Amino acid sequence: MASVPLSAYLIMSAILFTIGATGVLIRRNPLIIFMSIELMLNAVNLSFVALSHFLDSADGQMFVFIVLTVAAAEVVVGLALIVSIFRSRRNIDVDEMNILRG
Amino acid sequence: MANLSLWVLLFPLLGFIILGLSGRFIQRSAVLAVACGACGLAFLCAVINFFSMLGTPVSGRVSDQVVFNWLTSGTGNGPSLTIGFGQYLDPLSMTMLLVVTGVGLLIHIYSAGYMEEDPGFWRFFAYLNFFIFAMVLLVSADNFLFLLVGWALVGLASFLLIGFWYQRRSAVAAARKAFVINVIGDFGLMLAIFLIFVNFQSLNFSDVLKNPISINTGTITAICLLLFVACAAKSAQLPLYMWLPDAMEGPTPVSALIHAATMVTAGVYLVARTHVLFDLAPVALNIVAAIGGATALFAASIALFQLDIKRVLAYSTISQLGYMFMAEGVQGYSAGIFHLVTHAFFKALLFLGAGAVIHALDGEQDMRKMGGLWSRMRITAWTFLIATLAISGIPPLAGFWSKDDILGTLLAQATKTGNPGLYVLWGIGLLTAGLTAFYMFRLFFAIFSGRYRAQPIAVEQEDEDEEAVAGHHHAGGVYYYYIREVPPVMSIPLIILAALSVIGGFLGSLSLIGLAKWAPLPNFLNAVSFQGAPILEASTAIMWMSTGLSVLVALLGFAVAWVLYRKGFSYKENRSPLYRLILNKYYVDEALSFVLIKPIQGLGRVVGNSFLEGGVLDGGSRGIARLFRGVSKGIRKVQTGYTRNYALGILLGVVLIVVYYAVRG
Repeated sequence: MASVPLSAYLIMSAILFTIGATGVLIRRNPLIIFMSIELMLNAVNLSFVALSHFLDSADGQMFVFIVLTVAAAEVVVGLALIVSIFRSRRNIDVDEMNILRG
Repeated sequence: MANLSLWVLLFPLLGFIILGLSGRFIQRSAVLAVACGACGLAFLCAVINFFSMLGTPVSGRVSDQVVFNWLTSGTGNGPSLTIGFGQYLDPLSMTMLLVVTGVGLLIHIYSAGYMEEDPGFWRFFAYLNFFIFAMVLLVSADNFLFLLVGWALVGLASFLLIGFWYQRRSAVAAARKAFVINVIGDFGLMLAIFLIFVNFQSLNFSDVLKNPISINTGTITAICLLLFVACAAKSAQLPLYMWLPDAMEGPTPVSALIHAATMVTAGVYLVARTHVLFDLAPVALNIVAAIGGATALFAASIALFQLDIKRVLAYSTISQLGYMFMAEGVQGYSAGIFHLVTHAFFKALLFLGAGAVIHALDGEQDMRKMGGLWSRMRITAWTFLIATLAISGIPPLAGFWSKDDILGTLLAQATKTGNPGLYVLWGIGLLTAGLTAFYMFRLFFAIFSGRYRAQPIAVEQEDEDEEAVAGHHHAGGVYYYYIREVPPVMSIPLIILAALSVIGGFLGSLSLIGLAKWAPLPNFLNAVSFQGAPILEASTAIMWMSTGLSVLVALLGFAVAWVLYRKGFSYKENRSPLYRLILNKYYVDEALSFVLIKPIQGLGRVVGNSFLEGGVLDGGSRGIARLFRGVSKGIRKVQTGYTRNYALGILLGVVLIVVYYAVRG
């Protein structure tokens, strides 16, 4: 069975990361932005796992768990913020939230 | 021997704290109870302690009680400094404690009458208690640092009380003047303390005053002179006396307590306390004596023609303090302290008597508007007469003994050393005694004899100027038949002080009349406090000569006053330049204003209007502010508030970093 080369995983990871980053930058709905961030995190996870496999080391996989944990925590906090912002403003467009401008 | 001076210190402090916190809300009688109670308990402790000291053999009469170590530093190698908060009790501080709390108590009681109608009643008594606390701290401190603390706190108390009627501009100005001049003295004391620490590695009296011989004379002279700067400022000696006459803006009991009996004698106390140092510095001693003599004569001459009764007494105080310094300048420390004690009695009495007159005349202080009060105010008049006789040195009253002690000491020292300067000083002392008798009887006749000279305007006329608000008004005189003797709460302290002014002199040496063994106060002090100082025993012949002359001169002064003013004081415009010069106090204030204040104000005005101030300094600082404002105005545009902009920024940053490392390899 012809194994998939490392470069394929990394290219895939880069593509996913770029899609995620683009999503963060161009979308105005915070829920979509969160999903994009998840995409970016998982792109990184993908490269961690691939490298872990190819380098025959468990370190990368451990990092993946940490990233997953942080991602979960971040979503919890983020969703709570979004809910509370929605309650007070009836609107969650991020471009409307610019009170802290200079 | 018990050392109760901590209690003497704490009671007035407690009184001050209670009155300061709650005086506004409590009854006047409660204010009085707290204030007089605090002072009375302090006096009681002092008296008990005094008897305990008398019952102790001479060798055990010094007690240094350290309450706690306040500051410890540099315990390793090199100089270290340990300062404890402690009470040093010896006959000298015992005498001071008794005078301060005793006279203080009488004046507290008197003030109950004098300040009765004042809206600031509780504030006044809180300040008085604070003053007693500060003064006790000053005289009972066991090291120079706490002496300085007490020294500065009595200055503060004096400031607060001179400016007590703060609605009056003149009172505020006088308070400020007193404070500023006193700070000059505090600065001198501070420098002296630095020098003492550098040379003795300690600030405790017991270390510094034990064995200073190993320090070279120049250093000791410098220390003594700096100490004397402090004394001159606090005790109103030339050239730092200007604040004391102005301090008469304060309520009269304050003038009696602070500016006559106690605080101003702190300088005399300090010289006596550090006499071990002064003994080793003859130059400093000579300066002390010379300044004392010069001040005595100078102030007495100003007092000759003053028209405000309190100012006469103020200059008289300065002059009498000069006497004390003269005595200390020839190492007659016990004579100086003796005069301090008797002076506290009769000068407090004079001020309280003047206060009674002012009270009865509804705030009038100008002797041109008095006269004929003898038959209206018998108690005041009699006690005032006793005090006048005492300060003039008429035997056998207190002032006679103490003043003659000083003059005798001066003459004894002059004949012993043959120093012509001391003969001059003795002459000055005699002359001043004559002047004193003259201006005091002038004051007495002006107030009490002749015809009442005020021109009363209708009493009904309500005069709502700012002074009336201060509880102190000049409505233009009181009808003669309205003048009443002061109430007993004021006259009883007068009577007690009068009794003390009569018998106070017998505390001193009576060797003049053959009772060589009888000298309670000098023996009490000399045995412990002034151990190292030479005992100046004049021969009886010399003392009789000095005494005879001084009494003669005093009688001469009295005679002149009798001839001129017996039938009442009459003020005539006098155009002679010498008279104008003295009436205007030698124009010292004006000269000072011309030499010091005007140029500095002018300089300030010139600099203030110059380009340096407006263009460079102001422009510079404003320019810097403008620069930052402009720059931030531009930069803050970057903070758009759009989350996605920030995200883009972060991303670009990361890309840049990655590219940098990729390119660098």
